[in-house]
Amino acid sequence: MDQRTLMQGLSPLKMKVLAASVAAALTAGLAGCVGGPTRGADTTGIDWGKIPATKLVLFYPGKSSYEWLRDPAAHKGAASETARGDSCVSCHDDAKEEQRQGAKILRGNHPLEPIALPGKPGHVDMNIQAAYDDKNAYFRYQWKGANNVEYPYYRFDGKEWKVYGAPRLDKPVQEGKQPAIYETRLSMMVDDGKVPMFKEQGCWLTCHEGERDLNPATKEEVAANAAMKAYKKTDVRKYLPASRSNVSDWKTGKSPEEIAKIKAAGGFVDLIQWRGHRTNPVGGTDDGYVLEWRNFDAGKNHFASNMDTATKQPKFMFDAGKFGSKAVTADQVGKKDNFLIKGDNAVPFDPKAGWKEGDMLPRYALQPADASGSAADNKGFGTWKDGMWTVVVVRPLNLANPDDKALKAGGVYSVGFAIHDDNITTRGHYVSYAKTVGLGAKADIVAVKLP
Amino acid sequence: MKLRPLIALVALAGLCLSVPAFAQFDADAAENVFKENDCHKCHHATKAKKGPSLKKIAAKYKEKKLDEKEAIKHMTAGQKVKLDDGKEEDHKIIDTKDVKVQTNVAKWMLSH
Repeated sequence: MDQRTLMQGLSPLKMKVLAASVAAALTAGLAGCVGGPTRGADTTGIDWGKIPATKLVLFYPGKSSYEWLRDPAAHKGAASETARGDSCVSCHDDAKEEQRQGAKILRGNHPLEPIALPGKPGHVDMNIQAAYDDKNAYFRYQWKGANNVEYPYYRFDGKEWKVYGAPRLDKPVQEGKQPAIYETRLSMMVDDGKVPMFKEQGCWLTCHEGERDLNPATKEEVAANAAMKAYKKTDVRKYLPASRSNVSDWKTGKSPEEIAKIKAAGGFVDLIQWRGHRTNPVGGTDDGYVLEWRNFDAGKNHFASNMDTATKQPKFMFDAGKFGSKAVTADQVGKKDNFLIKGDNAVPFDPKAGWKEGDMLPRYALQPADASGSAADNKGFGTWKDGMWTVVVVRPLNLANPDDKALKAGGVYSVGFAIHDDNITTRGHYVSYAKTVGLGAKADIVAVKLP
Repeated sequence: MKLRPLIALVALAGLCLSVPAFAQFDADAAENVFKENDCHKCHHATKAKKGPSLKKIAAKYKEKKLDEKEAIKHMTAGQKVKLDDGKEEDHKIIDTKDVKVQTNVAKWMLSH
C-alpha cells in the first residue's frame, strides 16, 4: 500500500500518516532546522514528475479594488466594460501582461501603490500541477520566494504582553517601529459557476474599499454599522457584491437571513489557504469561504489565538524540556522553527515562570488534535529548498458541507490564485487572473486522474 | 559569372528604394511604448477589441492617404472616439511628449 492510498479518506491510517508527518516536522523544529527537509514533507506518494505542469504568472495588484476597476476616472477606458461583466483578460491579453502590470504598479508613484516597496518584484512565476483520485484532488504549487514562516509574537515588556512584529504594509513597520513579520501564504479561490462574474473577474470580486489596507473603515464606522454588528465583525474583510444592497459599499450589508439564502444557493466562493506558520507545521490548510466576510468554515481550525482575553496573558508557552526554552527572544526570530503546538511542545502558560522583558511567545497556537469539522477538510504540505517553495494541497472530493464548493470528477471550476510572501498580507500579494481547473476535463489547468 | 555581384547590388538597391518611409522604425521600442501606455487593451494587432485592430487602422490610413502625423494627432489630442455601441469616449493620450517616440509608435502602428 503506497502513501497516497494511506492518505485517501478520513481513516485512522491517514491520521497516522499525518501524525508521522507532524512528528517529523517537530523533530526538525526542535533541532532548530529552519526549512528542514521533513517539515511539511509531501506524504501523498504521488510521482509529480509524471503530472504535467501549467505555468502561471501572478502579479502585484496594489489597490485595484472592485470599486477602482469600475471608476471611469481610475480604470480609464475599461470601467463600463468591467461593470457589465467583461473578463479582465478581454483587454489584459498580452503574453507579458502580468509582468508589465506588476512592474508598473511597483515602479513608484503609481496610484495603485502609495507605499514604496523598493526591490519587490512585480510578479511571481508559479508552476501548478493537479491530480485527483477517487477521494481527493491534489494541487502542487512551486514558486521562488523567501522562507518566511514567522508570525507576529506577543512580547513581554516587563508589565504586559504586547504584539511584536507586523505585516510589511502596516504603519508601525513603515515607520520603522516594528519589524516586518508575516507568514508566507498560498491561496486558491474556487467557484462552481454560481457566483456571477467570478469566471470573468476572479478574486477582484472580493476586494473592496473599506477592507484592511484598502482605505480601511475605522473601528468606529464598523461598530456603528447595523449589518456588521449583525455579522458580529469588527472590521471589513473580503466580501462578494451579492452580499451588499449597494455592491460597492461595505456599509450596505444584507441581513443575515438574506445572506443565509445566498449561501444556501451556493452564491459564495471557497477559499483554501495554505499558511507557512499557522497550518503547514501540522499538515493542514485552511478551509474558508467568502460571502459577506472572509469566513472560516464551521468547526475548529488548525490554529487558535494564544491570548487569554480575560487575563490578557498568553494561553500557552513552550515546554522548555522539548523546545529548549519557555519562550523566544527577538534575536531568534527566523533562526528556529518557532511553532507553538498543542499536544507537543506547548504547555499551559505559567504567569509565575519568571518572565523577563523581551520574552516572546507566538500569537497563535497550533491545535492539530482539535482541528475538526468542515474547517479541517484540507491538508497541506510545504517545503522550502534552495529558494523554492513546493506546496501540496489536498482537497477531499464531493464535500457536502454547506460552506464548501464540492470538487467532483469531470467538473470544471473557476479559480483564482494568490501568493503572499515578503512578510506581507492583504493587498501586498501576487494574484492571478481568473483561471479554470478541470478534474479530467478541459480547462486552463487539467487535473490528471491517478491510476 | 561576373554579372552576379552587379545583379545582387542592383536588386538590393531596388529593394531599398521600394521600402516606404513609414517602415523605418524601431519595432521593439514602439511596441513597448504602445503596451506601457495600455494601448493594447483596446487595439490588437489583427482582431477587433474595444477599438479597431492595428491592421484595420493601417488599411484605413493607406486608403485615405494619411500618414503618421495624423496618427500622432489621434494619440495626443484626446479627441472623442465613437465606439461600436454608439457611445463616445475620450481617446487616451499617450504618456510621452517626445515627438521622436510618438513618430516611432505611429510608424510601427501603420506598418501593420
